[in-house]
Amino acid sequence: MESKKEENRKKTSSFWVWAIASVIFRLILIYFPKNLNLSSRPEVSTPLTSLRRLAEGYWLKQSSMSPYAGSMYHGSPLLLSLLGPLTVKRMEGQPNHLLCSLLFVLADVVSAVLIRATGRKLQTAYSRSLKLLQLDSLSKSSENLSSGDVAALVYLWNPFTIVACVGLSTSPIENLAIILSLYGACTRLPSLAAFGWVVATHLSLYPAILIIPLIFLLGYGPDAPPRKLFVQRRNGKDGDNPSSGSSCLQEELFNQSKPPLTFSWKPVVQFLFWASVWSVYVLALCSLSVKQKGGLREMFKSTFGFILTVEDLSPNMGVLWYFFAEVFDFFRNFFSIVFHMNILFMIFPLAIRLNHRPCFLAFVYITISSLLKSYPSVGDSALYLGLLGLFVFELADMQFSFFLFCGYIGVSLLSPVMHNLWIWRGTGNANFYYATAMAFACFQIVLVVESASAMLNHDRKLRKLSVAKP
Amino acid sequence: MAETETKNVTSRMRQRPIVRLGILLISHSILVSIICCTAGVLALLLLPVLAKNSYISENALMPGSASSMLSYQDVLEANKLVRDISSLSSKPSGVAIESRGIIAQYMSDLGAEVNYHKFHPHLNEFHPLHFFSSPGSEVIQDNFSCSLYGVNTVGIIRAPRGDGKEAIVLVTPYDSVRGGVGEALSLGIAYSVFSLLARVTWLAKDIIWLVADSQYGEYAPVTAWLRDYHTPVFGDLGSLNSEMCDNNNNIYKLKENSIQERNISYTFKRAGTMAAALVLKVAYTNEQFEDTLSIYAEASNGQMPNLDLINIVNYLAVHKQGLRVKVEKFWSLLESQWLRFLGEIFESLGKLAKSLNPDWKFGISPSDYVEGTATLASSLYYQALGVPTGCHGAFRDYQVDAITLEISPKVSFNNKDRRSDFLLLGGRLIEGVIRSVNNLLEKFHQSFFLYLLTSPGKFVSVGVYMIAFALIVAPLPVVAASLYADSNDLNTASKKDKKSSNSDELGASLKSWKWLNSAKRVFVVHLWGAIVSLLPYFISQIRDCTPTTNFLIWISLSMLILLILHQILGSPYFHVCELKPQEGEWALLKSVTISSLFIGLSLMSVINFATAEIGALLLVPISLMVHPLKHDIKARSLRSFSRVICNLVLGVISFPPATFILLKGVFEGFDGLNAGDFWNWVESLWAWNSATYLYIDAKCFDTTASEIRNL
Repeated sequence: MESKKEENRKKTSSFWVWAIASVIFRLILIYFPKNLNLSSRPEVSTPLTSLRRLAEGYWLKQSSMSPYAGSMYHGSPLLLSLLGPLTVKRMEGQPNHLLCSLLFVLADVVSAVLIRATGRKLQTAYSRSLKLLQLDSLSKSSENLSSGDVAALVYLWNPFTIVACVGLSTSPIENLAIILSLYGACTRLPSLAAFGWVVATHLSLYPAILIIPLIFLLGYGPDAPPRKLFVQRRNGKDGDNPSSGSSCLQEELFNQSKPPLTFSWKPVVQFLFWASVWSVYVLALCSLSVKQKGGLREMFKSTFGFILTVEDLSPNMGVLWYFFAEVFDFFRNFFSIVFHMNILFMIFPLAIRLNHRPCFLAFVYITISSLLKSYPSVGDSALYLGLLGLFVFELADMQFSFFLFCGYIGVSLLSPVMHNLWIWRGTGNANFYYATAMAFACFQIVLVVESASAMLNHDRKLRKLSVAKP
Repeated sequence: MAETETKNVTSRMRQRPIVRLGILLISHSILVSIICCTAGVLALLLLPVLAKNSYISENALMPGSASSMLSYQDVLEANKLVRDISSLSSKPSGVAIESRGIIAQYMSDLGAEVNYHKFHPHLNEFHPLHFFSSPGSEVIQDNFSCSLYGVNTVGIIRAPRGDGKEAIVLVTPYDSVRGGVGEALSLGIAYSVFSLLARVTWLAKDIIWLVADSQYGEYAPVTAWLRDYHTPVFGDLGSLNSEMCDNNNNIYKLKENSIQERNISYTFKRAGTMAAALVLKVAYTNEQFEDTLSIYAEASNGQMPNLDLINIVNYLAVHKQGLRVKVEKFWSLLESQWLRFLGEIFESLGKLAKSLNPDWKFGISPSDYVEGTATLASSLYYQALGVPTGCHGAFRDYQVDAITLEISPKVSFNNKDRRSDFLLLGGRLIEGVIRSVNNLLEKFHQSFFLYLLTSPGKFVSVGVYMIAFALIVAPLPVVAASLYADSNDLNTASKKDKKSSNSDELGASLKSWKWLNSAKRVFVVHLWGAIVSLLPYFISQIRDCTPTTNFLIWISLSMLILLILHQILGSPYFHVCELKPQEGEWALLKSVTISSLFIGLSLMSVINFATAEIGALLLVPISLMVHPLKHDIKARSLRSFSRVICNLVLGVISFPPATFILLKGVFEGFDGLNAGDFWNWVESLWAWNSATYLYIDAKCFDTTASEIRNL
């Protein structure tokens, strides 16, 4: 027991050492903004997340114009009031956007801590349900490695996260909102979950689909093996001789910490209530800040409308810009509907198949939306790669992990090279760059498919083991 | 149950032929790699045979369709300029200013707008992170000394039929102090063309004639001028400079006294975007037979100008002016017997193929083959080196196609009668090229940017030479996959042996992520490589060091950092998600290294093909052959012994300093070698921001990675 505690303490300390090291690494990078020039990379800053555009919007607002005038800024007006003053403050001898960068570093650290806490919750739920299924050997092996620590460190040390944080894009804040809502739902705080969800939706629209996993999380509780297993187990127990002492004990255990086999409506209703409260609140704040300059209508048009109609066709990591640059204008609406329906089509089948694992469902949704969204950046990839770490045990047998790793590295190195060939050397063309974007999309698809099938295989394995055991 | 499932899986795999093919390849990885490597080398040797005749791809160019308008009158004027300039060089003082004055006078007499451009030659600095940024984005630094400056003379003719949005640049490097007759003659040729173009009505693009002050090298004035051309400074540049260097103001005053022409100004003048640039040089190389024209095209990092530009020059020079056109080649290869032998084999093969099917024509004569190979080798070498072969390289950084034309007459310059003929010849060539480029509607885009030359009229395009590269690199993913699969199989086998052990359970349960351990180690070695490649920047800050000491400092620091990293790797903080080391770990490690090498080589082939090709030739064999020394020494068989020898030899050969010394020794003889040479060479590479530099270090650490793994 003592040794275990000691080990735990060691683990915690080493986690914090690594977290602090990552912060120091970021601070070092912040001091070379000119050399790195990350904020002008198309992979890092999209029209939605670029801080340069935000500064421009703030300047417009200060000179009492609409921040959305001239199609420069497309973010939320709240972000403008939050980050805008920081972009103007300059300190002598310091990098230009030092305060903003520090804020982004803080957002990253908070996200990592929240991921860690979420991971702990998930792990305790996981080992509890394994105990209920009497698969102790599996739960023992899972205790050696804390999935929360792994996920948080993956998030902090992922080059994508670091680049997005140092490259002055607002995606750390968007990611923070998403993680906050997941954390709130895991710890059964409907108000916090609703707050995170509303803010995330307000900032980047796509997290709106996370409402389904959030409701599952609040209704059923965190990820667990399929509910059928528990039912089978209980039925099997009923069939057995109930007077046996050991089974009596287990019965008690069952009753004590009963996994939520039924959907509990109370937190869900609370969540919905809070969501409406927060959204009214956010909308009121927004309308206050844009009242003189076009009102909410213009805000929606140039934020959500900008996202949905894919107006800006400057190259990015996504697959849409090239397509919409080629397509005839009168087909535009049709294809933008088709592409966004693509995301919506996948929602319901996945929700039905993975409803017992809401966190994993959220991961799959985030990956799919970052694959198909109109202005993806490395910040989105950073988020889902961090969340992937939460499922270390379930995905232990994932296939092609090495292949995916090499693919991600190769593509993320190839993309700037192709951009260089196209823009600076003139020996390449847009097809070169778009090829890397397509390769990246393929790798993301492989990642989603493989992780989902690994998860389902894991469920199958659990069922086999629990059936095999008397 | 599990077995039925695996059976299902295998049966499902049997249904897909592509998966079966993949498994077949992986299971015969040794055979595949031997075949692929041999085929790759053979394909590389076949390239001169497969070269295509070049053709002019852009229809708008229409080279040589109009007869030349350059007359003896222009040449006489030019001859006068040459005489004036040459007579100046006998006077010792004030040559620079006076020659500038004369050139400017001549230009403005033609009605051109003339301006002086003053620049400070930058010392080449290494910016490790500037590789991917734009050429103009670098901060203009103020670390020049005021006493060092040069003055370019720029003349611009506005096109009567143009809108001033496009321009053609003519560059003549001219060192007023040390310049010989050759430079004066190149000025003469340029002047004759310039005087013609000032009169003609068909001109649609502005003509810029840049007389680059080449007393600090040819490259510096052109880059300085291009940088100022492309980065508009708001406010007066001249006043900016004079504020910084007050003591130099007198040169302007001096000029103002000597020239009272309204057309000459000191403000920077621009024309439109550049369509093409021609650098003109005259050299006397003692050619016996005919006037020759050498074309230099390689810019930084193996970039080449559009093939069409070379094609027009080649076409006009050969068909119109009767010049002999040369591109650079390795002379030492011309005498090599085995190449000739190879050429004969290829010729007979070609004949055989022709007898089978008359449509197959790929036989070339052995002498052609040898010549093609020598040219190809030098083309590869200069592209791989990444250092431009002349001041045309500066243009390529701004996406302007440029080449250097070096004309050498067959008689000496002192022959006055032949001089006018020579001027006429060169002038007509330049006029033809400019007239062709003038016809262009958009910038060069039709023809190839990625090619290797095997002779002035023959080229190998990217689609052909990539095959050779792909064949050499193909074994890497196959071997990596087979090693990875083997090590996984090994693990499951060992797991079956001792299933009871609990700690093993964890290792087995995370078996899909086991490669992380090796990846971490490879990452640390690469990190070391990155640090080592950044070190010279700091070392070069130390003043007053000989290259040899610099080199020694570099080596010792690298070793020190390696030790430190090794310590950190062993420290407990690195074991957050440490997994148990397994048997067959080296196979995984090798697989990870090979995959990283594959990624690196593929990336490099996109950036700079030639570097990637040479790197692949050196690195692929070693990375495929490598095997832990311990195992081999334990085995004590003949096979393992020979493998050890092979590994050690390959490891030494592909270690960059060793490669450099070996190659140098082969070409120049072994005497007079020292370690400082390597430092100088590396310094010249990073001074040019060459990707090869990054690559050499990549090779450095990759080789070391395999060495470390050996132990």
